[in-house]
Amino acid sequence: MRLPALLLSLTLAAPAFGGVSEALEQDILPGFAGFAEAARTLAETAEADCTAPSVRPAYNAAFDAWLAVGDLRLGPSETAALSIAFWPDDRGFTQRTVTKMVAQQDPVVDDPARFAEASIAAKGLFALEMLLYDPAFSGYDAHSYSCRYVQAASIELARQAQALNADWEEFAKVLETAGAPDNATYMSDDEAIRALYTQLLSGLEFTADSRLGRPLGTFDKPRPKLAEARRSGRSLRNVLLSTEAAEQLAHALVDHDLPQVDAASDNIKKAAQSIDKKDLSGVSDPQSRLRVEILQQQVQSMRRAVETEIGTALGISAGFNSQDGD
Amino acid sequence: MTTRRFFLAGLLAASAAPNLSWAAAGDPAYIAAAKTPDGRFALFGLDPEGATLFQLPLPARGHAGAGHPTRAEAVAFARRPGHFALVIDCVGGAVIRTLTPPEGRQFNGHGVYVENGARLLTVEQMADTSAGVIGIWDVEAGYLRVGEFATHGIGPHDLRLMGDGRTLVGANGGIATDPSDRTKLNIDTMRPNLSYFDLDGRLLETIELEPELWQNSIRHLALGPDGQVGFAMQWEGAPDAATPLLGLHRRGEAPVLASAPLADELAMKGYAGSIAFSGDGSEIAISSPRGGRLHRFAPDGSFLGAVSRADVCGLATHPAGYLASDGLGGLIAVGAQGTRPLGRQDCAWDNHIVSLQS
Repeated sequence: MRLPALLLSLTLAAPAFGGVSEALEQDILPGFAGFAEAARTLAETAEADCTAPSVRPAYNAAFDAWLAVGDLRLGPSETAALSIAFWPDDRGFTQRTVTKMVAQQDPVVDDPARFAEASIAAKGLFALEMLLYDPAFSGYDAHSYSCRYVQAASIELARQAQALNADWEEFAKVLETAGAPDNATYMSDDEAIRALYTQLLSGLEFTADSRLGRPLGTFDKPRPKLAEARRSGRSLRNVLLSTEAAEQLAHALVDHDLPQVDAASDNIKKAAQSIDKKDLSGVSDPQSRLRVEILQQQVQSMRRAVETEIGTALGISAGFNSQDGD
Repeated sequence: MTTRRFFLAGLLAASAAPNLSWAAAGDPAYIAAAKTPDGRFALFGLDPEGATLFQLPLPARGHAGAGHPTRAEAVAFARRPGHFALVIDCVGGAVIRTLTPPEGRQFNGHGVYVENGARLLTVEQMADTSAGVIGIWDVEAGYLRVGEFATHGIGPHDLRLMGDGRTLVGANGGIATDPSDRTKLNIDTMRPNLSYFDLDGRLLETIELEPELWQNSIRHLALGPDGQVGFAMQWEGAPDAATPLLGLHRRGEAPVLASAPLADELAMKGYAGSIAFSGDGSEIAISSPRGGRLHRFAPDGSFLGAVSRADVCGLATHPAGYLASDGLGGLIAVGAQGTRPLGRQDCAWDNHIVSLQS
């Protein structure tokens, strides 16, 4: 599998760059392995004691691990990512589904095979967050339905994480054999780099527009309840971890220095330090709202830095058709 | 070695009535427009394996086109708001005619030859109201504008001639646009429909979806065996609504809406750019350049699977299933058994592939 990458670096003239294999092996594949490991620990923790206070630390560790690779939306992650982290969910599918499951004591939680087929709103990190943190659910005791639900959702998350890790091991070969005669996904070596680069941009866009943009809403109508993972107070942490993941992927993808990306990363950390409400609920207050807006601007700066330092260097532009509908 | 053919083609182009058949252009199965590396635009003739049979310059980016059923002549429509369409001699490469819509009308990017190529129908809208019009052109008389009829809807887009050769099906997208810049003007009140006409423009049947789907613009059409019509939609409402993007209809029946599982549907980003039935008519697919994927469905609307490919948009019927094209220059054969790369050219394929067989 190393051969195509070697050829790539030989055939492409300056600017030199690391490439797809490096991104996969230094960043992406270890990221999915780490998430699989953390999800397994979560399942084991829930198995031993499924009450909310016991499960929360392992839940947060699993969410942290997810954010290392959670913004990728290609290959196996194109659809699987949503069933692990179903957000945005403006219409409240997760709340409705979890409420109904608990109210009806839906026996699907006792059948792992059937639970695997359940709606993406019934499982994953956000269904678990609802059960572990929302006061309407989190007070459950060790012998309750909700406790079994938390166990089932944790086991299913571990199963999905393991499957995703294995699927990525396979998909890595598709990326690394870009340009091979039978590869209909990536028809030349530069298409694979382009694909990873596009993920970098869209991940940062997602953080700026959704993780920060949704709760910001407008000045007249802030929407604090649309913040991602606000129940667990992780909203700001998710912004930091996802931009860190983007920075790492950027460095793995090219072998030249990225001073603008690094500077943007420092500014993101500084901007985040001045925000005291970790669930981003400060968006409703004009003074602290400004700090969230500054953080959003810094994330946008990082996106532009990626465009300048990687996109321009590689000669990559936006999609011909995806940018021009009709 | 090219002299005789070149001379002949030039002579015919000059006479404005080339009657060379498609065989003289290499018998292309498809025509497709693309942006070439020098930033210009070209019309390509392709064989079923995606090999280029001809490449002719276009003065500007096109949208879709239509091929004359017998003569090696194609019409390439400008992008909306379309102020011109070019009739191109696909043997010599000359622009035989430049069609301009009558005052106050704009081409909407699609059109179709009818009556064995005696007439060309062009999809248009009134510049001021976006009301839909089908323009009628007499091909034999040198593409003379001879009439028009209403599409009974706003912002019409695709138009197809059904298998009986007498019935037209048109997509009224429902979106009113600013005549100068395509700004959408009526998203809150839009109301698309699918309409059938005879060749004289008499409205035969029209269907609408439920009001909660009126922001789903019906835009592109494909014809299946036995009179089934597939329509591809583009969602203009709130993002992440995961509404169905494919509808299937037969005259006199209620439309069937086809959805993918939620995670797949969300990955389409509410947008279907092209639509085609498979070569044996046993399935239908829609493409989403925004989602970088295409979705396959059975004629009953059940989901068959997804194929991922960056910036994929063009989609046409192919003996193996479908031919898909993309903005990276790729041409891919997609079948029930999987995908097969046919080739990647140094160009960016535009939104549509026009099949010359149907």
